[in-house]
Amino acid sequence: MGTKTRSILGELSLSRRTFTKITAVVAATAAMYKGLGKLANYAKETGYVEDVIVEAASAAKTDKIKSICSFCSVGCGYVGVVEDGVFTGMEPWEDHPINQGGMCSKGTALVDVTNSEKRLKYPMEKVGGRWKKISWDEAIDKVGTQLNSIRDTYGPDSVFMCGLVHGSNEEAYLFRKFAMLFGTNNIDHQARICHSTTVQGLLYTFGHGAMTNTTIAMKHSKCHFFFGSNAAEAHPVFMQKIFDAKDRGAKIVVADPRFTKTAAKADFYVRFRPGSDIAFLYGLINLILENGWQDQEYIDNRTYGIDYVKEAVKHYTPEVVEKITWVPPEDLLKVADMIAHNKPSNLIWSMGATQHSVGTQIIRASAILQCILGNQGEWGGGCIPVRGHCNVQGVTDMCVLSQFLPGYYGVSSEASWSWYAKVFSETDYTSGTISLDELKARFDTYNDESMMTKKGFTVSRWYEAVLKPQSEIGQRNNVKAVVLWGEATSSITEMKREKEAMEKMDLIVIVDPFPTSASAMPDRDNGIILLPAATRQEGTGSVTTTGREWQWRDVIVPPLYESKTDMEIFQLLSTKLGFGDHFDYKSIEDVTREINVASRWIGNQGETPERMKRQKANAHTFETEYGRAVGGPCDGEYWGLPWPCWSTEHPGTPILYNDKAPVMEGGHDFRGKWTYPDNEPNAGEQILRAETIPAGTGGTPSFYYWSATGEPQKYGYDMTGEANQLALADGNPPSGRGRARLRVAGWIDEVPIHREPIESPDPGLVAEYPTYEDKEIYKLMTEFKTEQQNSITEKRHIKYPIVLTTGRQVEHHGGSAQTRSSKYLAELQPEMYVEINPSLASGKGIKHWDFVWVESARGRCRVRAYLTERVNEKTVFMPYHWAGIFEGESYEDRYPGGSAEYSIGDSVNIIASAGYDEQTQMQETKVALCNIYKA
Amino acid sequence: MKFLINIERCIDCGGCWVACKQTNDVQEEIQRIRIVTVNEGVPGEKSIPVPCMHCDSPACEAVCPVGAITKRSDGIVLVDQSKCIGCRYCRMVCPFGAPQYEGSSGKMDKCTYCVELIDEGLRPVCGSFCATKALYVGKSEADVDSEASKIGASKLASVTNPDAYVKGSM
Repeated sequence: MGTKTRSILGELSLSRRTFTKITAVVAATAAMYKGLGKLANYAKETGYVEDVIVEAASAAKTDKIKSICSFCSVGCGYVGVVEDGVFTGMEPWEDHPINQGGMCSKGTALVDVTNSEKRLKYPMEKVGGRWKKISWDEAIDKVGTQLNSIRDTYGPDSVFMCGLVHGSNEEAYLFRKFAMLFGTNNIDHQARICHSTTVQGLLYTFGHGAMTNTTIAMKHSKCHFFFGSNAAEAHPVFMQKIFDAKDRGAKIVVADPRFTKTAAKADFYVRFRPGSDIAFLYGLINLILENGWQDQEYIDNRTYGIDYVKEAVKHYTPEVVEKITWVPPEDLLKVADMIAHNKPSNLIWSMGATQHSVGTQIIRASAILQCILGNQGEWGGGCIPVRGHCNVQGVTDMCVLSQFLPGYYGVSSEASWSWYAKVFSETDYTSGTISLDELKARFDTYNDESMMTKKGFTVSRWYEAVLKPQSEIGQRNNVKAVVLWGEATSSITEMKREKEAMEKMDLIVIVDPFPTSASAMPDRDNGIILLPAATRQEGTGSVTTTGREWQWRDVIVPPLYESKTDMEIFQLLSTKLGFGDHFDYKSIEDVTREINVASRWIGNQGETPERMKRQKANAHTFETEYGRAVGGPCDGEYWGLPWPCWSTEHPGTPILYNDKAPVMEGGHDFRGKWTYPDNEPNAGEQILRAETIPAGTGGTPSFYYWSATGEPQKYGYDMTGEANQLALADGNPPSGRGRARLRVAGWIDEVPIHREPIESPDPGLVAEYPTYEDKEIYKLMTEFKTEQQNSITEKRHIKYPIVLTTGRQVEHHGGSAQTRSSKYLAELQPEMYVEINPSLASGKGIKHWDFVWVESARGRCRVRAYLTERVNEKTVFMPYHWAGIFEGESYEDRYPGGSAEYSIGDSVNIIASAGYDEQTQMQETKVALCNIYKA
Repeated sequence: MKFLINIERCIDCGGCWVACKQTNDVQEEIQRIRIVTVNEGVPGEKSIPVPCMHCDSPACEAVCPVGAITKRSDGIVLVDQSKCIGCRYCRMVCPFGAPQYEGSSGKMDKCTYCVELIDEGLRPVCGSFCATKALYVGKSEADVDSEASKIGASKLASVTNPDAYVKGSM
């Protein structure tokens, strides 16, 4: 949309009554006309002008602006083509080190998504059952006044806010800050339902919860073991590097309940039962140890707790594993053989491994396996959790989470809050200052305890804080308002309860480029306010890939229609709520600079705006074997300065825990954070690695680093940076040199064990491998044993004998309001369906593409039947990207005028399991029981 | 040659399909490039991107009764829609399903090898955006030839002499 046109509208909106008869004459080129045609219609339709005449003008001024795709976390670069201010096309960014020009169907649809006529164009409110246009001033006033009123009447914890997984690092930091100053920890985001179990599992085993390699590093693996990943659909460009490795002789092994598009590329494929992951992994470890295929030197020098693992895996003989997993012994042996003898090998996972009631334990078992094979720390080897949305890594790092402050400072520790009071007050990027006491005073007190140091609710079950009695939610009053800030309501489970909560509460605020199905789902006439957010193509800031690489985005076009960037909306709202002085940054780069000061545990000191922009301008100097600059202004830097990046001289750390390189060349180690547990002979002593550190690295065994002068501080609280410098001078990462913990003392399962999913098809296996006792997680009592037993008592394994699993499609992304609003992606993948094996289907009289009901104990969905051999006769698969239809009923008319996505469908998360992970409350979307019949 | 198609690398991600639609403003229901998958869901599953192969002996050109289809000196085969009568003979003889018809106009539409971009010295978007480098168009046709030789690809075999290499088999 050209600046000329926008200023005309801007003037008009200020004095609409006077200018209603104006005829706007807009000079445009042919290229511009396409976008302006829609603008002309909108202008006429909303009564801004009586008519818009688009006249031919001189040749278009073309700008080419590089940016990063806003779908998945691989972080592909592209060149946006802008003609006279209209985003009209894309060109490949061929020297971008990660994707080298390549993009999938979603990335190539960015123009279509940005310009979609389904965009939320202006603020709206649902009043008396109708959607009304309101001005920004009105919208901010209403939202601010109501949030203030709820805070005053019920307390700040009566607001739950979530989302922004696509947001820049800076906007994510602002979101978490917003909640801190509002006075609540009831803030969370999509990582909870995606890789929260990865973060928890790896954090407790290795010290950091993130992908241990970069995508480029995948080229160097000798064996890719996909266990819980369908990268061919979820991360297409990631496969480019897998194939590069394959061209060099690498093997591909895929274990998956479905024969996926990724499985189609495997040298060896194995099908296993959803939810039996730990048994499978332990079967592998058992075979590896029995055959002496382990890396004993690695185990001895770099891990702690192997004896506990040896004891636990003994049970998982090939025969036992077959009973649990459906995998024949010879197949299990073949997988073990391949991954043990083609090294470095890795284990690549996404939701297949994370979304379980034992998700954290599955991840721990994966990490244990990688240590036993000695893979962890090698280029291309070890744990490869591939993250979801374009900035879920960054938003996780900035901790839009109910248990952490940005940079993984735990809310339960007052030292974290003290740190942030200091950061907010002592940095000059905003005018605001605040003391620890003032910060604490913003929080409620309940049962004589400050809510400041209590974890909040999670995105997976926030609605229970609306529905459950107040006595069961651990705070003074129920949640009355929700702010869905770029958060889909169809990607969490128990959607019927979510819908009920959304009908009961006082206020729903949706901040999004599209209205989304959240605007249509609740049956209510009032109390929904929509704020139009700009897309990632209309804003700037940094974004972090799945490989911890920070990349800078530039603005392709300024915010379309009346949308505003998230940063601008935070500034408006915070001013209305009385803490605007903490948000008056002069630029988004100043937010980055504040993060460089504040986020020290994971070493975000080196990812400065200047360094990121310089890398962007010099992408051509980076070679593509390791992603390192050779010569030029960025000489020696790794692309994206992957964290930890300890200083502005540090090149970034592409491979976590790689002890073979000097720390100033990207070398690293397991975190030196823990001590031996009480029952160990060296109880209380620091768990450090063996004396010998590889030659040439200059390192010494060490625990955490502290500053030496003034008031000594751990490196995470040392604003002077001295602790970092001391460590780097010693040849060590400031996070120390410890050991991988194979045993986590104090957890219910100190080493993982197999436990049946909450809704299991086999009561016999449940008796042998029951789930956990019910327990409180994030303020809510969560049913494990009760729900598992309910399933058996209600005979769900008989009534619903088919195992249901869920996952992704390449054409859509997450909640998919964006992709289903693209005419191209809607054409490519137009309808919701269930994948069903032809034998299972014919037994039920179901033909290909018939409508069927898929029913579980929680409800039912009406979808097409897609007959395919991808699934066996005992399993069906449904993609989760669909909404707009609820249990067969279309909600198309409930969206604000005509904004329902081109493709709508029923939501599988209405029927998915009500199971949750024991550590993080991740939902168990990978295993449920269902039945299917013709509709 | 115009294309190097590496069947082992195609993952049916749709990147080429959308890039073509977006860049060439292709109408709904027309697919100038198609991705064909065989043996879906079982070992042996393969996907192959199928654009127009701009054949050396194009059957479409040979059968067109009104001479609407021509082959440029650089090998790109194009249809002149002002001459096309929608008889569909070209569709019947093309081994690759390249000619397509959109309901209302009745005219034939097909892949143009992004001829407008070619004339500006750029490359077709299907190949330049391919996520996995399965459909390779390089920086020039010489580049395609050199890459094909490097990976041991062979000419795609058909009586129409497609202007493409293929690596791997269905």
